[in-house]
Amino acid sequence: MMRRRHVLKAPAALLAAPLSAPALAQADTRPVISIAVQEITTSNMLEMMAEQSNVGSRIFRNFVEPLIDTDWIGDMSLQPGLATSWRRISDSVVEFSLRRDVRFHNGDAFTAEDVVFSFGPDRMWGGGPLGKEPPPGATQIARRSFPGFERMEVVDSHTVRFINKTPDLTLEGQMARTASVIANPRAFAAARSWQDWARRPIGTGPYMVTEFNPDRILVLDAFDGHWAGRPPIRRLRFVEIPEVSSRINALLSGEVDFACDIPPDQIATIERNPRFEVAGGIINNTRITVFDKTHAVLSNPLIRRALTHSIDRQAIIDALWGGRVNVPRGLNWEYYADMFIGEHEAPRFDLSEARRLLREANYRGEPIPYRALNNYYTNQTATAQILVEGWRAAGLNVQLQMQENWGQITARTPTRAIRDWSQTASLPDPVAQIVPNWGRNGVAWNNGEWRNDEFATLGDFLQSSVDRAARRQAWARMLQIVEREDPGYTVLHRNGNFTAKRRDIRWKAGPSFVMDFRASNWGT
Amino acid sequence: MLRFIASRLARAALTIAMVVTFAFIVLRLSGDPAQIIMGADAPPEAVDAFRTAWGLDEPIWVQYFSYFWAILQGDLGRSMRDGRDAIVLVTERIPATLALTLPALAIKICLGIPAGIYAALHRNSLADRVVMIIAVAGFTVPSFVLGLLLVLLFAVQLGWLPSGGQESWRHGILPVITLGLGGAAVLARFTRSAMLEVLGQPFIRTASAKGVPWHAVVTGHALPNAAIPTVTIIGFMVGSLIAGAVVVESVFSWPGVGRLLVVAVANRDLAVVQCILLLVAITMVCANLIVDLLYGLLDPRLRAAPGKAA
Repeated sequence: MMRRRHVLKAPAALLAAPLSAPALAQADTRPVISIAVQEITTSNMLEMMAEQSNVGSRIFRNFVEPLIDTDWIGDMSLQPGLATSWRRISDSVVEFSLRRDVRFHNGDAFTAEDVVFSFGPDRMWGGGPLGKEPPPGATQIARRSFPGFERMEVVDSHTVRFINKTPDLTLEGQMARTASVIANPRAFAAARSWQDWARRPIGTGPYMVTEFNPDRILVLDAFDGHWAGRPPIRRLRFVEIPEVSSRINALLSGEVDFACDIPPDQIATIERNPRFEVAGGIINNTRITVFDKTHAVLSNPLIRRALTHSIDRQAIIDALWGGRVNVPRGLNWEYYADMFIGEHEAPRFDLSEARRLLREANYRGEPIPYRALNNYYTNQTATAQILVEGWRAAGLNVQLQMQENWGQITARTPTRAIRDWSQTASLPDPVAQIVPNWGRNGVAWNNGEWRNDEFATLGDFLQSSVDRAARRQAWARMLQIVEREDPGYTVLHRNGNFTAKRRDIRWKAGPSFVMDFRASNWGT
Repeated sequence: MLRFIASRLARAALTIAMVVTFAFIVLRLSGDPAQIIMGADAPPEAVDAFRTAWGLDEPIWVQYFSYFWAILQGDLGRSMRDGRDAIVLVTERIPATLALTLPALAIKICLGIPAGIYAALHRNSLADRVVMIIAVAGFTVPSFVLGLLLVLLFAVQLGWLPSGGQESWRHGILPVITLGLGGAAVLARFTRSAMLEVLGQPFIRTASAKGVPWHAVVTGHALPNAAIPTVTIIGFMVGSLIAGAVVVESVFSWPGVGRLLVVAVANRDLAVVQCILLLVAITMVCANLIVDLLYGLLDPRLRAAPGKAA
């Protein structure tokens, strides 16, 4: 494979040579753009098999690409990426036709072998022939992202088949996930370890990693050999500035062109300056409050239902978000298309109903701990205070306990009762969001917070059935169980993501954390 | 003198061992690093695999002795986040931190001590009051407030200096001033108090009565005697060189040891936190050792009775 690759490199370089001279001549006219971010990555790595956070999803699309892309700026629909087309061979097999004019940042031509490698044991599953073991977190992400994966099969140099163990309607969606990006085998083999590779991955994206200093800066330079043409920006600099006031100051003083993660209450202040504006809005993430049904008080579903009815969601949205987000119909997205349950709603704010449920449950004011982090989520602390006051008004004795990290939040002790979380709809089918989090062997199941056998059985069905009508019926019932009858969580509001920027830059923020700096989303 | 130094070295080693032990225990009591690094949604088998990979499944006393034995061999462990050697992660940040703290220390000494002496020599004058008002303000305003005010003025309004980052010497000006002013205010207050106390001593009156010129009384008699509390404070400042800029580094996005410490603590990256604490402890202990030795030089009485030095 390597030998053939080097043979392919020579003509590719010859072809690129006449193009590169004028390209270089023009390069200096393109801008250098700096983006102030709260955090570049949470894992100190750029390999998406290790970096699955919200902040990581902001950067990845610029340097790596999956076979199936997503319209991140538009309706989040699936689009051709490194595959120009795909078709179902069966309920468990999808065949992809790969682009022929794609090169990696190191000059290697992209072929079906690269897809096989990217989904292989060296990068994902462990026990590969190169002996570079992925960390436990990476193999866990692989199992969660591709639960039924069997193998990738090469049909020819530019055709590949994804073969699943079981029928699955969401295989195309899985191939659009961040973990599905294609990695360069030669660069991987040359790295000293999996972690070394993960700090300097070689992909096919419009920009290539030239400097990565974790906790400080990520520099991406334009990759002029990108299949879609020359990128519009000469250099992208993601600069880590943890403090929000410092990010805003850096923008206002002209040191950066974008400042991310702007709290809604700062938007008016920034836009008072005519040189700047704030982009963004609702994204594909929902804030929820999670209940531990094994807690002595919350084991009674009536009390959990009372909690869900004591939340004035609209007040939170108006007071803390300036009305810029909304209350969802549960963990149930419009872009699920025929799987969207339009008649489902979040529990209404009704204190008298909450009090009635508490009387019925014979609740006598026993304390209910509520663990929260200090503004890990935007407005988290203020939201928690509003929630506690609402619960107090209904007669619930909820005690807010600020914690320092996620380990303390999820620690399995008798005082675990209520906690905060958020959920991202990563592909347009509920199975991707609900089953890994709430289904059998999902997060809540594994950490012992919430289990429901009927729900788990329906989740298994949702995962393996290809009968769309039956799946929709199962999904509607699952929502009813987990959000109304035996609440495992309750939705608060859709999350918002706001990015302050120079007004003279034409750039759109999409309905996700992803930042797109391709030519299609850039102008000055 | 040798006995004096040996006793100080033994005490220093004991202090470092206690810091290492304390950090080891506290970090392990305050959250499971496996759960924090693997995330809330990690299945139990993945968390268990992580614990096994990093030896967290061993009894705590086994972990402790392994850690201590590794330290004695010069191995400070690896970061659980990205697998790099903790000492490499920390030492590559030290120059950035020293680039702030050393110039800031110079500002503290060059500004604080003369201001304190001047205020003491002009006690109850307008100059004294002005100096002390500024010193009290510098002492009480938190560094993050002062830092943000400087950024608003010099970066946002005037556009003279960058607001954060570490790309040129200009980026260091505001954080150095922020660090330096607060410390200068502390030194000015202590120097003034020490000078006032010494200036009220009988030997100062005696020297003046004998006709010794005032400047000679001040430089020859008052200053050396007032130096001990000032040297003590400077010793603390020197001891804080490595991790004494946590807040300022966060406000100015300065990639030094302080920011590394914040991130490492939040993620319970045990080896990195322990490595930083160990280096801070060693720096602090060395600074105190030097201060102890300086006491002996500054005050001959302490050389005669070294046990009473500290």
